[in-house]
Amino acid sequence: MPRIISNDYLTLLVRLVLGGVFIYAAYYKIVDPAQFAKSIWYYHLVLGQVINISALILPWLELLTGVALILGAYYRGAVLWVNILLLVFIAALASAAYRGISIDCGCFKAAAASSDSAMQTIYRDFGYLVLGIQLWLSRSRRWMLANL
Amino acid sequence: MIRQAFVLLLFSIILGLVVNLFHPNKIPYIGEYRELSAGEGPIIPPSASEGDPPFIAVDVAQMEHQMGGTLFVDARDSMEFNCGTIPGSINLPFDYLPAENLAQHIDSSLGRVPKDKPMIVFCSGEECDLSLHLARNFKGFGYTHVSIFFGGAREWEKFGLEMERRAKCPE
Repeated sequence: MPRIISNDYLTLLVRLVLGGVFIYAAYYKIVDPAQFAKSIWYYHLVLGQVINISALILPWLELLTGVALILGAYYRGAVLWVNILLLVFIAALASAAYRGISIDCGCFKAAAASSDSAMQTIYRDFGYLVLGIQLWLSRSRRWMLANL
Repeated sequence: MIRQAFVLLLFSIILGLVVNLFHPNKIPYIGEYRELSAGEGPIIPPSASEGDPPFIAVDVAQMEHQMGGTLFVDARDSMEFNCGTIPGSINLPFDYLPAENLAQHIDSSLGRVPKDKPMIVFCSGEECDLSLHLARNFKGFGYTHVSIFFGGAREWEKFGLEMERRAKCPE
């Protein structure tokens, strides 16, 4: 394994970036759950009965995951969720793109207008996934609350 | 690791469910979404042109209606509106709007509706293009989130969705 992957500074930077992105993404969804529920509905992937429940729980999972990454508490669990969630988001976007469904991704501002195409969003999420994999592989445990 | 992930999920479930109880924009825990014409896409009239507000299908209209927060505008005359319309709609009969000062008339008819309020304009159905004309005017006057439900009241009723009837009318 290349040493750079476990570099303390790199790992801290990636934690802050990914954690910040997840907290930012969660904020708008928590503020306006109805808009986020609409975003989920447009994917036609989730059963109607569980759309609202998903719209209520998912943003909090993003928020707690982001906070846990930055603080370094419940860290391995947070890294696992980051990678699972990114894979789910990529799969959902790819599925929508494949079916020709025109959607706003609902990534950052729920159903607010976004000029990003589904493919652009998939590329961006792949970028985040690379960061998530770095955290997965990194052995650095510096500057973590759990170690204090 | 699995235990930590489970704890994060558990707290997310608790927070998501509890915070919604006190949320100013709370939503029902179980949504009443209906599978209608999903996948068939919206009805788009031949008279539609590029730059028109987007057209939406009945399943999108139903979803927006049950979620709330979207203003439904019926562009037909008041008699048709009273005979049966989408519940909660307001009536803005396009045929009876004045030719002069149309922007001010629409603004005052809509009350203090912000320009970015999501709005869905409709009329009877496919033979009626009042919704198209009214929605074009809305867009021209600066309303930014206007959609057209071209299936209209007839398609709404055809799918068994609730109608609001203010008057008894002949079939």
